[in-house]
Amino acid sequence: MLQCIFLLSDSGEVLLEKQLTGHRVDRAICDWFWNQILTQGDSLKLVPVISSPTHYLFQVVREGITFLACTQIEMPPLMAIEFLCRVADVLSNYLDGLNEDLIKDNFVIVYELLDEMIDNGFPLTTEPNILREMIAPPNIVSKVLSVVTGNTSNVSNTLPGATASCVPWRKTDLKHATNEVYVDLVEEMDATINRDGNLVKCEIYGEVQVNSNLSGLPDLTLSFANPSVFNDVRFHPCVRLRPWELNQILSFVPPDGQFKLMSYRVKKLKSTPIYVKPQFTSDSGTCRISVLVGIRNDPGKSIDNITVEFRLPPCVTSSDLSPNYGSVNVLADKTCSWTIGRMPKDKAPSMSGTLVLETGMERLHVFPTFQVAFRIMGVALSGLKIDKLDLKNPLSRPHKGFRALTRGGEFQVRS
Amino acid sequence: MAPPVQSHRSPSPSQPSGKGEVSDLKTQLRQLAGSRAPGTDDTKRELFKKVISYMTIGIDVSSVFSEMVMCSATSDIVLKKMCYLYVGNYAKHNPDLALLTINFLQRDCKDEDPMIRGLALRSLCSLGVANLVEYLVGPLGNGLKDGNSYVRMVAAVGVLKLYHLSASTCLDADFPPLLKQLMLKDKDAQVVANCLTSLQEIWSLEASTSEEAAREREMLLSKPVVYYFLNRMKEFSEWAQCIVLELVSKYVPVDSEEIFDIMNLLEDRLQHANGAVVLATIKVFLHMTLSMTDVHQQVYERIKAPLLTLVSSGSPEQSYAVLSHLHLLVMRAPYIFSSDYKHFYCQYNEPFYVKKLKLDMLTAVANESNTYEIVTELCEYVANVDIPMARESIRAVGKIALQQYDVNAIVDRLLQFLEMEKEHVTAETLVLVKDLLRKYPQWSHDCIAVVGNISSKNVQEPKAKAALIWMLGEYAQDMQDSPYILEGLVENWDEENSAEVRLHLLTAVMKCFLRRAPETQKALGDALAAGVADFHQDVHDRALLYYRLLKYDVSVAERIVNPPKQAVSVFADTQSSEMKDRIFDEFNSLSVVYQKPSYMFTDKEHRGPFAFSEELGTLSIGTEPSDGAVAAQRVEANDKDLLLGTSEKEESHGYGNNGSAYSAPSYDASTTAGASQGNFDLVSIDQPSTLHPPSGFAIDDLLGLGMPAAPSSAPPVLLLNAKAAIDPNAFQQKWRQLPVSLSQETSIDPQGVAGMTNPHALPQHMQGHSINCIASGGQAPNFKFFFFAQKAEGSSAYLVECVINSSSCKVQLKIKTDDQATSQAFSELFQSALSKFGSA
Repeated sequence: MLQCIFLLSDSGEVLLEKQLTGHRVDRAICDWFWNQILTQGDSLKLVPVISSPTHYLFQVVREGITFLACTQIEMPPLMAIEFLCRVADVLSNYLDGLNEDLIKDNFVIVYELLDEMIDNGFPLTTEPNILREMIAPPNIVSKVLSVVTGNTSNVSNTLPGATASCVPWRKTDLKHATNEVYVDLVEEMDATINRDGNLVKCEIYGEVQVNSNLSGLPDLTLSFANPSVFNDVRFHPCVRLRPWELNQILSFVPPDGQFKLMSYRVKKLKSTPIYVKPQFTSDSGTCRISVLVGIRNDPGKSIDNITVEFRLPPCVTSSDLSPNYGSVNVLADKTCSWTIGRMPKDKAPSMSGTLVLETGMERLHVFPTFQVAFRIMGVALSGLKIDKLDLKNPLSRPHKGFRALTRGGEFQVRS
Repeated sequence: MAPPVQSHRSPSPSQPSGKGEVSDLKTQLRQLAGSRAPGTDDTKRELFKKVISYMTIGIDVSSVFSEMVMCSATSDIVLKKMCYLYVGNYAKHNPDLALLTINFLQRDCKDEDPMIRGLALRSLCSLGVANLVEYLVGPLGNGLKDGNSYVRMVAAVGVLKLYHLSASTCLDADFPPLLKQLMLKDKDAQVVANCLTSLQEIWSLEASTSEEAAREREMLLSKPVVYYFLNRMKEFSEWAQCIVLELVSKYVPVDSEEIFDIMNLLEDRLQHANGAVVLATIKVFLHMTLSMTDVHQQVYERIKAPLLTLVSSGSPEQSYAVLSHLHLLVMRAPYIFSSDYKHFYCQYNEPFYVKKLKLDMLTAVANESNTYEIVTELCEYVANVDIPMARESIRAVGKIALQQYDVNAIVDRLLQFLEMEKEHVTAETLVLVKDLLRKYPQWSHDCIAVVGNISSKNVQEPKAKAALIWMLGEYAQDMQDSPYILEGLVENWDEENSAEVRLHLLTAVMKCFLRRAPETQKALGDALAAGVADFHQDVHDRALLYYRLLKYDVSVAERIVNPPKQAVSVFADTQSSEMKDRIFDEFNSLSVVYQKPSYMFTDKEHRGPFAFSEELGTLSIGTEPSDGAVAAQRVEANDKDLLLGTSEKEESHGYGNNGSAYSAPSYDASTTAGASQGNFDLVSIDQPSTLHPPSGFAIDDLLGLGMPAAPSSAPPVLLLNAKAAIDPNAFQQKWRQLPVSLSQETSIDPQGVAGMTNPHALPQHMQGHSINCIASGGQAPNFKFFFFAQKAEGSSAYLVECVINSSSCKVQLKIKTDDQATSQAFSELFQSALSKFGSA
């Protein structure tokens, strides 16, 4: 299983080293690894699973921090990668972000967390709720508490109750002054539109996120008005699968706080809420570009946070772009981003300009791909609707809230 | 991007330079050690934090060890945790000081807080000091019986750690049966899972020597045990589920009913949020239904959706791991995925490694119904900014064309690529058009028309240029100006750097000459002259061959150079189907990611005496088929490989040897062989010590010099240095330099041969006689070992090649030494050591 975990900064410095087994992994492996990155030019280009002369390495990069795990024996690669991703999630959750300084300031906590998350190379628990009970996060509340009470330990003195209970993701005796539960539908639309403006692929990846602040052991059921839209679903371990199979009802005892109850996919959508139409016409060394953006299929709510991003081909030497709405930024690496913001009611945003090509080039041969981001509050574009949320054993009537949101995910338009 | 930090010890403004700060810390800690003043804990915590942060950035703070231990008497749990961390890191290098920590760790193991009990036990087991194992047994025994599941969970893993430190202590304390009891009874699922992992590893390692362990290992796969785990599946944490599922995938159900039961029970695991669980479940499904063709197909249908969702929902790293597995399945059963081809469309901002896999899958799933869409999509990538991607896409289009779907349209598209006038596109396309023409000569007319328009000046890449020249020669009669283009190319002969292109040019001119002699005569003369004068041997030889052929008989030359050709029907596949099957057997393992069966990349771990704890560890994970293929690989491995195999391991192991260097003094091999055996066992499990870092070497030399008096009375004069060390490269060099001073044939005790089943037994035995194994290899009945030994006084070394035939019990020895006078004595010593193998 895993023999060692290193955390590296974006300059290859070892921030943290956690040996997991009796077999020590020498730090020299990090130098080898960093040389590989330098030859590739970018840590994101390096394959996540590589083999060095002495070890097999798994790497996951988050916010500039590289999580590097080493092993010498065969193991399921996805297990190692999933685990590293969870470590990254838990750390960023604990430290409220992830960067070099945060890790350096809180390395004791990181060690403590790793200690509980993995023993002798086998992952133990990565459930944030349980870890929180064993090791208190370094938040302001606990800092204030420690000053007031004089108790400076950030480790709870009791073992988490949940480790012994049959609901491992929840401790038994939770009490909340506010009794509330919120359900969010967060959807991302992945779409690809080809050169002729046809929709090649369009699907929704969605998550049901729940924020539960309920006392005791609440038993919830959530049902959908149209569960038939789902193509594939995945659940948090707390969901009972039998009721889902029989009646498509989600029945569960929620963990405390924010968690992802389920994720799903809805395939084969027929249209997108907005269109983006790029056009290029080349003529003797220059190229005219025009991009139109507009509403194709009105979702009924306003569309905001619209941005269109693309990268000019390397053969373009200079560009002059002007929008009739919003602002355009061209970065040094030839990335152009056109920020539109909220879709205006009265006119369709457009951007036009000219690109000057390298000398000797008559027309443009390579065309950029446009990446479109947007946000629509209050609508789940998959059409999914929540029917109702029931609490089986209420101590008091909880406050319930529902929201929906759709974002542009991998939304790309080719030209 | 900033350059890598070469040395972490280099002083930088923010980092302490080392010594001064550490000694400061030392005095401060010492002052605090006895203090009971209020607020001490806070000061201590700051200091501890500093120590650990130094440790983290790589500064050696082992010198404050005793102070840290003195300060460890505290009730503050964070202090304790930091102290455990520190001790765990340095105990291995300071075994004497580690003894100091035992006391407080043992006390903490009896603390009333279960969390402290658990943490202390974990640290105690992680010290990794072999001499201290006796102190582990008691706390571990109590830990396994502890009332709190957290402590039991730690203890279950602790047993495994103890086993790796000292197998005999662990077995003598009867821990495995205790673990087994816990595994089958404990109500906490995590304890059960930890017991399972520990037992799997222990019994797999023991199975080679003990029949009982082998039986117990079988027991883990028996029906009641597997069913017990399956029934408790939902209690396990997601990671424990992965381990249990791995176990289940090795279980062989008796009939199809059982298979269906298990699959029904596990079906909901496919919807688990953790991708590792999903993949482990898929492995169970695939392996169980391997013999039931219909069901196997249904399984593919069933797992399709979860896999595709995993691909699209995770981070790029997760997608990559899943895609690698999906890739394998798509390659096995493309038709099942052919309707889902859109999932393999590439996104603009995906990493290249993901796109490459997707392109492979797109080519695999292409069939009559979807080829048009797929090729259209691929053509869009060709216009993409990303050049490597454009190249791969063109290759993909070509591969689809070679699969014979819709060739007509594809050829049109390919020819359009040539009109795009982008150098990399043109180059890649030319190579493909050449391959296409070899398979579909009927398209030559269309292609030639377009290819003829390409100016050879725009093609620079050797492969593309070669392809173009090949076409010019092959279709000389259809291309009006082919002789003249070739002539132009011949004129630039000297500027052509690639020998491949020059070779093709020679052949093309020759072919052209045979069809259109008058126009090509000049070019041919020039080409042959330039070719004969060429510095490249192949070009020279080919030019000469053509020249002589033409001189001999032109019609013979025609028959040889330009015979009628048959269209190629199938291009050789790079990967055999047997290989693919083997990778499939290793589903959910690294093999899939590397697209190679594990024996092709893990074999170096199996060679040499070094890796054996890791190697056997692999068995417990179980995806390793230890069969003929591995063995075959070993036979092929030549001596050089063997040596290299171990030298690569040196770096990672040398470190650990420091610890063991303390315990073994130089000794007289002929008289004390038995006595030192026990001592050796303690250190051998984790670090079979053959190689030592230079520092260890120096100490040993001193020891060797310090004991000259003792053996003066013993008759065999030859004494060996027990800690002789050599670098494998140095060994290799020496072996080449020295002459064989002695070559002998002898025989080995048949009992010893029986011990050969464990490849590490002999090296271990010989090490007991101060003869170290440098490398080993081979398969039954022939084993080959390289040994090294050194005289206790002086530096003369003995190098031995020892080939053992285990069926005839014959041993062939080749001894090389730089001290010829003692070679006979050494040979006797060696043989006497060898003869004791098996009887000891």
